[in-house]
Amino acid sequence: MLINKNLIALNLDSRTKEETIRKMAQMAADEGKVENIEEYVKTVLRREEEFSTAVGFGVAIPHGKTDAVKEPLLAFAKVNNIEWDAPDGKPVSMVFLIGVPESQAGTEHLKILANISRRLMKQEFRDSISNAKTEEDILKVLDEI
Amino acid sequence: MGVESMKILAVTSCPTGIAHTYMAAEAILDAAKAKGHEAKVETRGSVGVENELTEDEIKKADAIIVAADTDVPMDRFAGKKVIQVSVGDAIKDAAGLIEKALKAPIYGNSGDAFDEVQKIKAQRAQERKGAYKHLMNGVSFMIPFVVAGGIAIAISFIFGYDASNNEGTLPAYLMAIGGGSAFALMVPILAGYIAYSIADRPGLAPGMVGGMIANTMGAGFLGGIIAGFLAGYIALAIKKYIKLPKTLQGIMPVLVIPVLGVISTGLILFYVVGAPVAAINAAMNNFLANLQGTNAVILGIVLGAMMAFDMGGPVNKAAYAFATGTLTAAAGAGSTVMAAVMAAGMVPPLGLALATVLFKDKFTPAEKEAGKAAWVLGISFITEGAIPFAAADPLRVIPSIMVGSAVTGALSMLMGCTLSVPHGGIFVTFAVTNILGYVIALAAGTVVTAFAIGFLKKSE
Repeated sequence: MLINKNLIALNLDSRTKEETIRKMAQMAADEGKVENIEEYVKTVLRREEEFSTAVGFGVAIPHGKTDAVKEPLLAFAKVNNIEWDAPDGKPVSMVFLIGVPESQAGTEHLKILANISRRLMKQEFRDSISNAKTEEDILKVLDEI
Repeated sequence: MGVESMKILAVTSCPTGIAHTYMAAEAILDAAKAKGHEAKVETRGSVGVENELTEDEIKKADAIIVAADTDVPMDRFAGKKVIQVSVGDAIKDAAGLIEKALKAPIYGNSGDAFDEVQKIKAQRAQERKGAYKHLMNGVSFMIPFVVAGGIAIAISFIFGYDASNNEGTLPAYLMAIGGGSAFALMVPILAGYIAYSIADRPGLAPGMVGGMIANTMGAGFLGGIIAGFLAGYIALAIKKYIKLPKTLQGIMPVLVIPVLGVISTGLILFYVVGAPVAAINAAMNNFLANLQGTNAVILGIVLGAMMAFDMGGPVNKAAYAFATGTLTAAAGAGSTVMAAVMAAGMVPPLGLALATVLFKDKFTPAEKEAGKAAWVLGISFITEGAIPFAAADPLRVIPSIMVGSAVTGALSMLMGCTLSVPHGGIFVTFAVTNILGYVIALAAGTVVTAFAIGFLKKSE
């Protein structure tokens, strides 16, 4: 499973993007998805530096591809207006953290992630996530193709 | 004003290949649909290449967006409108990118700016028609004779102006090679190949003999041109109107046409055309020899502007042919007109090259590449090096180069620079008198052109 209830935080308490990424990485590690948190976070932050992963409309998708990740993962958190250098200048309120191992055995997960990335560009998808009240709701939205 | 449906293709690729690649793809597809265009996006993510663009699709595409932060195979897009941006740009403003792509320059063209200029020259040579074509044929065959002859003479002058008078010495031989032989063949070759262009092989003999006669009569360059056209059309007429029985066809090219053609051309020249043309020739040479001050400057301005106006086209060639003609009259000495014309012809590419260096933000990457080539083309007196720039932005480029070339032409005439060979650019500086003045004239025009363009062009 790419994502599950424990990888969803409906009200993450964090102030900066680094803090957000770290806390979400911790969630992933707790779920056994990440072997080396430091390594993973470093990779994600490095990608973040190259080009901000905030895509506008209050959404950010930090991601990292490293063998510090054991299994492909997707984590989600609703945060409270964090500055994320978004192209539209708006603060971020929804964060999708993605992690995939460097050497992937299968591409299924990548396809799912690619799919989610595409859907994030659509207003209705973002609205459904924004309006979701429980972890189950979120899972349902993500599963809907 | 409705927007027609365009076929937009794109390639997206980001380093990690997980998210931005697909978001950019989505953004482009949505934007294209909103504008009523068709779109297909090839994604190159961690999954691998998906939706790969086919050769057929590329051929039919109206514009291509490459939104990638990694290397993407680009050769397949040669000849199409392409913009290359980063993945983020596509996510930010895909709609804007589509508009930009539809106006983009053709990819692959400036891969080698030298090749492009060669292509243009060949194309132009092919498209010439009528009298202009015939004249240019003669001139282009004549040039090597004038260049080689002029340089041989110039080298002999290095030994001293009268050095060639000492029999059996190197300078004497060089003078014999250049002035005695190469230059002597100039006008016959001109006439011969004008006639050849008109009438093919049968025109060659009448043309060359006619040119030789023109020389003897002192009708010079002008006489050679007239002899060439005369011989050509006479040979053509003989071919057309004199019909021999089939068995005798063989003697047409070898006996009938040469004899009739050569003799009739020659007689017409001697009895009718030669003397008047010789008089005109003498008058013109006189005029040019006595040209100084304001009149010289005005001529420099006019010739300069002509050289830049169509960069190797008919107007440029007319000025150039005129200048080469003055060389035949000068018989080894330099001509102020030739100097002005060559310098003016070097300015358009040089001025543009300078502009791409000084005003980097006003030129596309493709143009900056063409600018690098333009340096070399400019110093080699290949005015066509300016064409890629003029084609992209004629209303700004052509006036700018005309002004710069006019300035150079004027200054060169003003300073009395002379040149004794018709080509070679920087490689024939030894054939220039008042080289300092010449360099000043060149530099002035180059700078004027560069700043004119910098002033007129907007930032990219």
